[in-house]
Amino acid sequence: MPERIKHTPLDSKDVKHPKAEIHLIKDQCKGCGYCIEFCPKKVLEESEEINARGVRPPKVVNEDQCILCQFCTAVCPDFAIFVVEKKNEVECKT
Amino acid sequence: MTEKKESKFNQSAEEIRIGVYVCHCGLNIAGSVNCEEVAKFAATLSHVVLAQDNRYTCSDQGQEGIKKDIKEHRLNRVVVAACSPRLHEPTFRKACEDAGLNKYLFEMANIREHCSWVHLYDRDSATEKAKDLVKMAVAKVALLQPATELEVPINRKALVIGGGVAGIQAALDLADTGYKVYLVEKEPSIGGMMARIDKTFPTMDCSICILAPKMSDAGHHLNIELMANSEVAEVKGYIGNFHVKVLRKPRYVTKDCSACGECAKVCPIVAPNEFDVGLATRHAIYSPFAQAVPATYIIDMNLCLNKEGVVVCDKCMKACDRQAIKYEMKPETAELEVGTVIVATGADVFDPSVLPNYGYGKLPNVITSLEFERLINAGGPSSGHLIRPSDMQIPKRVAFIQCVGSRSDRNGRLYCSNVCCMNTIKDSLLIKEHWPDTEIYVFYVDIRAYGKGFEDLYTRARKAGVIFIRGLPAEIKEDKKTRNLWLVGENTLQNELYKVNVDMAILSVGLEARKDSEVIQRLLTLSRNTDGFFLEAHPKLRPVDAATGGVFFAGCAESPKDIKDSVTQASAAAARAGILMAQGKVTVEAITPIIFAEKCKACGLCTKVCPYNALMLNKEQKRVTVIEAACGGCGTCAAECPFGALTQSHFTDEQIVAQIDAVTEQDADKKVVAFCCNWCSYAGADFAGVSRMQYPPNVRIIRTMCSGRVSPKFVERAFAKGAAAVMVTGCHLGDCHYINANYQTLKRVEKLWKKMEQNGLRKERLQLLWASAAEGEKFASKVREMKPIVECVTSEEIEKARKVFEKALTDG
Repeated sequence: MPERIKHTPLDSKDVKHPKAEIHLIKDQCKGCGYCIEFCPKKVLEESEEINARGVRPPKVVNEDQCILCQFCTAVCPDFAIFVVEKKNEVECKT
Repeated sequence: MTEKKESKFNQSAEEIRIGVYVCHCGLNIAGSVNCEEVAKFAATLSHVVLAQDNRYTCSDQGQEGIKKDIKEHRLNRVVVAACSPRLHEPTFRKACEDAGLNKYLFEMANIREHCSWVHLYDRDSATEKAKDLVKMAVAKVALLQPATELEVPINRKALVIGGGVAGIQAALDLADTGYKVYLVEKEPSIGGMMARIDKTFPTMDCSICILAPKMSDAGHHLNIELMANSEVAEVKGYIGNFHVKVLRKPRYVTKDCSACGECAKVCPIVAPNEFDVGLATRHAIYSPFAQAVPATYIIDMNLCLNKEGVVVCDKCMKACDRQAIKYEMKPETAELEVGTVIVATGADVFDPSVLPNYGYGKLPNVITSLEFERLINAGGPSSGHLIRPSDMQIPKRVAFIQCVGSRSDRNGRLYCSNVCCMNTIKDSLLIKEHWPDTEIYVFYVDIRAYGKGFEDLYTRARKAGVIFIRGLPAEIKEDKKTRNLWLVGENTLQNELYKVNVDMAILSVGLEARKDSEVIQRLLTLSRNTDGFFLEAHPKLRPVDAATGGVFFAGCAESPKDIKDSVTQASAAAARAGILMAQGKVTVEAITPIIFAEKCKACGLCTKVCPYNALMLNKEQKRVTVIEAACGGCGTCAAECPFGALTQSHFTDEQIVAQIDAVTEQDADKKVVAFCCNWCSYAGADFAGVSRMQYPPNVRIIRTMCSGRVSPKFVERAFAKGAAAVMVTGCHLGDCHYINANYQTLKRVEKLWKKMEQNGLRKERLQLLWASAAEGEKFASKVREMKPIVECVTSEEIEKARKVFEKALTDG
C-alpha cells in the first residue's frame, strides 16, 4: 500500500524491545570487520584503539538499536563478540 | 479474409436499385422540412427507383413497407432520411436483413437532429439542406458493398483486476455462473477500501462484518483463483482472447501458514501499518488485518533484515511451527488466457496535505475521514475509542469539513466525490451514539443526500443535534498550548463570520483516480475522462462497458461511488461479461481495413498509427495484414496510407468522396463540409438537435467513425470542388474513442493549415473542433462562428483554393 502516512502510530509508545547487552572480547578480535559489515542495524563501528593483536576492534555505538539477531556472534571467526538480553528491563522505542 | 473482401469489392455488376424513404417523424421533421418535396427530389437522383415520404418510417408499418418494396421493386440499396443513425440505424438494418438485403447496403440521412430540429424557423433552407443530405446518402449508398461480420470465439474465463468489494462481487457472480475467474489483487489481502471502513451508510451495518464472508467466499470458491500480492504486467490480444501476464510477487511465507501470528511476535522490526493509515504498527512479517484473505502472512522485504540472500535474522523462521517461511522465494509470472476482463481497480483518497490552510500533516488533531474510520473501528488502533492524536483524549467538540479535494478548481478536483456527505453524516451519528454529549459541527457547501435512505439519515443526524454550517472554514489555526483548533470562515446562509473552537477536525477527503490508472489504461487500451476515471462506452446505454471490446468496469475505477453502487455495477459488469462468455462468440462490425496488396509498398506507416496494433507488417513478404478481431474500426490507417493501398470497409475513399462531391455539386461556395466522428462530435451535433440549438443551415455533415479517418485528401477535395469552408471535428484529445487516433487528426490538420498558409489561403476556412457528445452548444456555436467566415469568402479565394488543391480531383 503506497499510502502517505502523516501521523505517528498511536501504539508506538507501547512497542517494547528487549534491550541488548553487547560483550566484546577485544583482544581476541583480529579486525576482520565482519560484525560491522553485517550488522543490519549498524550498531558497531571500528574503534580508534589498537588491541593486543595490533588491530582495531569494533566498538558499540548504537546499543539501543540492537535487535538481538546475534548475527555478529555467528559471523565472528574468533568468537570475540556476544550479545545477551538485558533481563527485567525494557525500553520504549519510537 | 482480406483477399475475399477485395474480390467482393470489385463485384458490382448488377444494376443498382435504390429505395429512398423520407420520414416525417410526425411533425418533428415535417414541421420544418417539406418532406414531400424532398422525396420528389430524391426520385430524380440516379439509381433511385423508388422514393416516398411517410409519417413514421420506424413504425412496424413503415418497416414492413420497406421490406415489401425490397422484394417487389427488387431494391438492393435502401436510404432512410429520418433521425440520427445513432438512434435507428440498427432498426432499419434489421428490417433490410429480414427482407434478405445485406445490412451493409443501408444508409441513413440525418434530417432530424442535423436539420429540422436545428433550423426550426427556416423551412426553405431546411428543405434544401435535407435534399442535400439525401443526395449525399444516395451517393454513398450506391457505392456500398455487402459485408459479412467476423465471428470471434470467446474464451470462457475471466480476469478481474482489483479485489475490493466491486472486484470480489464481480468475481463471485461470474464464478457462481460457472466461469473460471482469476482475481488479481495488488495488496497482500483482498478487501480494498471497504475493509477499512467502520460502518456503512445509510444502514449503519458493520462494514467488515458484511464484507468478510464475501472475502472468504472469494478465497475458497472453486472457480476463483485468487492472486493476491500480484499485478497485471502485460495484456495482449483482443475481445474473447486476451493473453495476460500476471506478476506474482513473493510473500516469503508458504500456504502452510496457519496465521497463528507467532512470527510477528518475535520480529524485531516495527513499522506503521498501511492498513490503519499509519495509526498502528506492524512488524516486517505481518498480516494487514485480522480478516485478511488470504490469511497467509507476508514479509515486507523492504523492512526485513534479510537481504540479498543473507539470512541475518531468522527469528520468525524459528518461531514458525509449520516451517512456512521461505526467505528465498522468487517472483513468478503467471500466464493466463481469458475472454473477458473486469477492471475494478478502485480509487485513491485525496491527499489534503497540499492544502496549507487546513494544516493536515502539521497539526496532529487534523485527521482525514479515512483515519477517522480506523479510529472509530473496534478493530482499529484505538479499539474503537475516538481519541485525538495529540493527547489520546476523547474529544468533546469535533468538526467535519466537507468537500476537501472535491468540487474545487483551485484546491483539488472539480467533481463531487459522491460519498463524503453521507459518510460524514454517518460518522457524526457514530460519535453521537458512543459519546452523546460531543458537540459536532459539519461545515459543508451543499449536503447531497440523494440516495435511498440518505435523507432519513440526514434528518436523524440533525435531530441528534449535529450542527450543520454552510460555508467551509478558510483556515484552521491551532492553539499551541491546548492543541485545540480554531476554525475560521463565513457562514454563507447567515452572511456572518464564524470562529469555532474544536478539539479535533476531520477532513472529509474526496476520491480521486488511482495514480497508477495509467498502467491499466495502457495495458487494456482504455480511455479516461478529464478527471482521470475510466471512460465507459456510453454513459447511459453501456455504462459498464469499456470502449475496448470484452473489457468492463466495476466500482470506483469508473467514477466515485458508494458501496451499494459499486456492488450493483460489479454485478452488472459480471452479467455483461457473462453474456459474451455464454454466447461463446461475438461478431465484430465489418468496418475493418481493406488492403490492396498490389499498391502496398510495405512502408509500415499504417502499423504505426494503428491504436490497436491490429496491423502487422511482414517485411519479408512486403505486405501488411489485418487482425480483424483486434481492429477497433477507426480507419486512421486508411487516412495515413500515402499510396491508397488501404481503405476502410463501409467508409471507403470512394464513398466519402462521393458524399463530398454530392455536397459541392451546387452552391459549394456557400457551404461548409463538416466531418464528424461517430462517438463525440457527431453525437454532439445530435445533441444540439435534441436540444433544439439553432445554427446556420450551411453545414453538411459527413459521418466517419473517427476523425482519424479524415484523410487530408478529403479536405483537399472539398476545397478543390469549391467548398467555402471545411470543418474537421472529433473527440477531445485524450478522450478518443479509439485511444489516440485523433492525435493523427491534429497532425494532419496542422499540415493542411501550413499548406494553406504557404499558398496564401486563409486558414480559418479549415476549422478543427474537439467536441464531446455532451457539447452540442460547442458544435452549434462553432457553426455560427463560421457563418461570417463563409460569407466573406470571395470567389477569387474559392478559385485559388480550387487551383491549389486541383491535384486532389485526379487523386481521388
